Amino acid sequence: MKRIIIDREKCDGCLNCNIACISAHEEGSNFYTVNLQSPDAETRNFIKFDAQQGYLPIFCRHCDEPECVLSCMSGALEKDQLTGHVQYDETKCAACYMCVMNCSYGVLKPDKQTRTKLIKCDFCDDKPDGPSCVKSCPKKAIEVKEVSR
Amino acid sequence: MKIVIIGASAAGISAAKTIKASEPDTEVVIISKEDSIHSRCMLHKFLGHERDTKGVNFIPEDFFETNNITWLKNTTVIRLDTNNKFVKTHDNQEISFDKLLIATGASYFIPPIPDLRESKNVYGFRDLKDAQLLDIECKTAKNAVVIGAGLVGMDAAMAMLERGLTVTVIEMTSDVMSLQLDKKSAQAYQQLFENAGAEFILNDKVVSVDVDEVGRGKTIYLASGKAVPADVIVIAAGVRPAFNFTEGSGIATNHAILVGEDLRTNVKDIYAAGDVTGIAGIWPNAMKQGRIAAINMLGEKRLYEDRYALKNTVNFYGLTTLSLGNINPEPEENCEIFIREDRNNYQKIVVKNGVVQGVIIQGDIGGTGFWQYLIKNKIDVSGIDKDVFSLSYADFYDLDQQTGEYNYAV
Amino acid sequence: MNSNFSCKTCASADQKLETFISNLSVDTSHHRMEGQSVKCGFGLQGICCRLCSNGPCRITPDGLKGVCGATADTMVARNFLRAVSAGSGCYIHIVENTALMLKKTALSKGVLKGKVALAKLAEIFEIDETDEYICAEKIADLVLADLYKPDYVKMELVEKMAYKPRFDRWKELGILPGGAKSEVFAGVVKTSTNLNSDPVDMYLNCLKLGISTGLYGLTLTNLLNDVMLGEPSIRLAPVGLRVIDTDYINIMITGHQHAMFAYLQDRLIQDDVIEKAKAVGAKGFKLVGCTCVGQDLQLRGEHYKEVFNGHAGNNFTSEAILATGAIDAVLSEFNCTLPGIEPICDEFKIKQICLDEVSKKANAEMKPFVFEEKETQSNEIIDAVIEAYQARRGAVALNMNADHGNDDTLTGVSEGSLKSFLGGTWKPLIDLIVKGEIKGIAGVVGCSSLTAGGHDVLTVNLVKELIAKDILVLSAGCSSGGLENVGLMSPSAASLAGPKLRAVCESLGIPPVLNFGPCLAIGRLELVATELAEAIGVDLPQLPLVLSAPQWLEEQALADGAFGLALGLPLHLGLPPFVTGSPVAVQVFTQDMLSLTGGQLIIDDNAKSAAETLDAIIEKKRQELNI
Repeated sequence: MKRIIIDREKCDGCLNCNIACISAHEEGSNFYTVNLQSPDAETRNFIKFDAQQGYLPIFCRHCDEPECVLSCMSGALEKDQLTGHVQYDETKCAACYMCVMNCSYGVLKPDKQTRTKLIKCDFCDDKPDGPSCVKSCPKKAIEVKEVSR
Repeated sequence: MKIVIIGASAAGISAAKTIKASEPDTEVVIISKEDSIHSRCMLHKFLGHERDTKGVNFIPEDFFETNNITWLKNTTVIRLDTNNKFVKTHDNQEISFDKLLIATGASYFIPPIPDLRESKNVYGFRDLKDAQLLDIECKTAKNAVVIGAGLVGMDAAMAMLERGLTVTVIEMTSDVMSLQLDKKSAQAYQQLFENAGAEFILNDKVVSVDVDEVGRGKTIYLASGKAVPADVIVIAAGVRPAFNFTEGSGIATNHAILVGEDLRTNVKDIYAAGDVTGIAGIWPNAMKQGRIAAINMLGEKRLYEDRYALKNTVNFYGLTTLSLGNINPEPEENCEIFIREDRNNYQKIVVKNGVVQGVIIQGDIGGTGFWQYLIKNKIDVSGIDKDVFSLSYADFYDLDQQTGEYNYAV
Repeated sequence: MNSNFSCKTCASADQKLETFISNLSVDTSHHRMEGQSVKCGFGLQGICCRLCSNGPCRITPDGLKGVCGATADTMVARNFLRAVSAGSGCYIHIVENTALMLKKTALSKGVLKGKVALAKLAEIFEIDETDEYICAEKIADLVLADLYKPDYVKMELVEKMAYKPRFDRWKELGILPGGAKSEVFAGVVKTSTNLNSDPVDMYLNCLKLGISTGLYGLTLTNLLNDVMLGEPSIRLAPVGLRVIDTDYINIMITGHQHAMFAYLQDRLIQDDVIEKAKAVGAKGFKLVGCTCVGQDLQLRGEHYKEVFNGHAGNNFTSEAILATGAIDAVLSEFNCTLPGIEPICDEFKIKQICLDEVSKKANAEMKPFVFEEKETQSNEIIDAVIEAYQARRGAVALNMNADHGNDDTLTGVSEGSLKSFLGGTWKPLIDLIVKGEIKGIAGVVGCSSLTAGGHDVLTVNLVKELIAKDILVLSAGCSSGGLENVGLMSPSAASLAGPKLRAVCESLGIPPVLNFGPCLAIGRLELVATELAEAIGVDLPQLPLVLSAPQWLEEQALADGAFGLALGLPLHLGLPPFVTGSPVAVQVFTQDMLSLTGGQLIIDDNAKSAAETLDAIIEKKRQELNI
């Protein structure tokens, strides 16, 4: 499967990946027009800063054994056997957030506005040239690579 | 090989899925007493008319066909013969197996209160069947009484509030959802329910029920002397593992089916998973047990180590809460308790000797999944020089350069 | 080919240039574009603030305000006003130097080539003086006196310079500028840490800076230069890399302050200097034009036929010009002199001399121009260039591109020369507009950039779209450099125009895109617009006239843009000026400006749709004029 491989040494904490993610999920927006102040603006990736370690990119791993999928009681989360990506079906989701509790890496979160859906990386599966965050990283700290399962 | 699974909820379905994903040629038969697959965590959405039967299904509609699984629905197992390796059903079918998974879950329990069990308008809130019966009652009922303010009781209460009923919740303890919450966080929910029209009677219990001429409970009498009118009564006072059919089969039980770490019972080739084992507790654990039992049934060795069940999330009226571990420690436990709150958030962290024992995060629960790992694995966080509220996965950040997956650096 | 670099070069509207650059072995801005292709989203939206050590703060969903409480609206406005202030400062520096030069020239009774311009200025400034030197001195003094006023004392020439309806509106809005230098100071102070937080106040301040920038930095700089260097006159001239003649010692000039070369350019063609050149094997000296100072020289080319070989290209052509190997020295006095030329100069042994302390280049010789020492300085420069010539010619490979550019670019267009061309009156042009033979006028101005499709790509495509809609294009700035090199300023470009404009151009023998020269000449476009408005008897916002800076590059362009909006003109930009993170900014620039000044900002990086928008505006204004 393809996974976004992180080289954390390269991350400068610029948060361009955040903007790209928000823009990718705001219909018709681009880097100039994406509304970062919108209540709907949600990023699916996170950069944490640690005084010792520097910037730590936290991105959905689409885990080989995804705890979120195992914990999902509505069938909204499924691991696609072909792509390996953990897919989320908003229409099925019951917003119980067992997945948030079970994601050991703290990647998943409820939506801010309504708490009726999950905010989760979709690998920009609808975009032909792959995850928007990866394209937006000026340092190439995140790159899509094939990993064996 | 032929594997028979009894029960088609979290553990049973998860096991079937695991088996078919790795060995599609294995014959799988699922026997369930229901005629539909549903997630009990979504029953309130069904009763609240937010979703229909299909909407509470947690697997694709064509799951059994695409996976080539035989599903015997509306079928109850009444006997298990471990020597001859077959189960007998209510309609006298004898279904043989090479390996068996018991995933029959649990059933609700009606306390022995005079005339309560006998009342015709008393329902549990455990299966779709229950919700369907309640749905019919809700069409005419005005006053609903929910006995028990645990998660299930609150689910039922919310659904019936949605349906426009007058809902009274009776609870023995002093707070709603006392297993998951502390006083402060419980009150936040109680307030939201009251805003929606619910009435709570706490620190009280049902002593008797007044039944009318057609056998329906009409008035509920409480220890305090209060009398509560009821057109429909929901009982949410706990569940018991369901395994009547194992009687005389030699399967070891003690209020639950006893299993080892590989989820095998005392009998070879017979496994159990989910609520029936008494060690699952919640949906995700049942799913995991189903998966691990399946792996063991297929001959690979995998232990169920993630027995941590003191965990839950709550989401009512858009207020979300994560609850983990020991959240209401007794004074003699000598725990340190850290609390912080703002307009929209309440957070409580319980720490003992540098190890997090319990957590309540109410409000914004985004990114809080790491707490479970810390508690479950008893990670000592005293060495991390920061406010306990500032902890995140970043403090344990570790990347596997080969696979790109995260690990915990501890 | 291009083996030194793994990256590819960016596209250019100028195909020949693109090929030339992609085959170069030196690193140019065109090569560096790819490495910088990933942009910071906060920077693009203008919502990064580094005014204090709590920052840099950025507006994110989790941080809707800076630590201090500044909103996106405040951040954007502060950043924008800072940029406009800096841009204004640049132009005010230019006009200050130019006025000082005029004053010193007058005092020393030096050469004043532009008698018409002198008389025109005397008339505007209401100076009754027959002695041209005293007159010039008075003109310079009046300009300098205004520039040096404090910000609380209004500049006096604004009312004399500005079109009356405009002046009245500016007065109503309270945006008449005080002393131009002090206004820059005020803009900088206002935008410092925890001072002004009112976006609307700051945008009005931008308009004020736009007025001082436009009337002084742009319009007056042109006219003062006209007095010293001679008025533009229309002629056909060669442009592009082809203008470089390897038989000569070639000096590339970059910057914006033509007057600094006034003495040198005359000196270079004096016999003793030519002899010096011949002594080392060259036929003499030639100036090769680059950036706006080259455009200014080209504009006045009629007066400098001998020393000036032609304009080679705009800011992002400068590296390519040097990479031909045939340039022996670079004389620079201001922007847009890219730092990227420095390693190329080292590699090609090109002598670099900087004439203005504000633009010292890292590896160049600093020789601040001193008027009183211009003779000695010029001789020193000539000797240094000869030395470089001797050291490098033969040692550095030549990579000429005689095919690039053309020989028939119409140059020398100004408010004066155009009016003369029309017979001393604007009536013929007005008639053409009224009859619809020319639908309207678009001033396509500003810089060249490598964004919005690549080098000059949007500029060229937009202009093609506009002329096809019978809209006459007037260009000033580095945009002209791109447009002329691709042949749009050659008479033959008439074939690309719509049928009506084409017929007009063909009958007059002119191209559909007229070259006003440097960005400073945006001031000349303002003069043309004002004179047309006056002749018709309307205010500027009513004219079927639009502005576009499709590939605006820098802070100066933003100050120019503020002038355009203060004039009440629709202004198109290809890319937003780092303001889209602020809803207030977007509202003010794209909507509210219409009721403030009559101006309006239009952002569109698509040539076709941008041209359609501008065309619709022109149509609407025509309707409102009943034409």
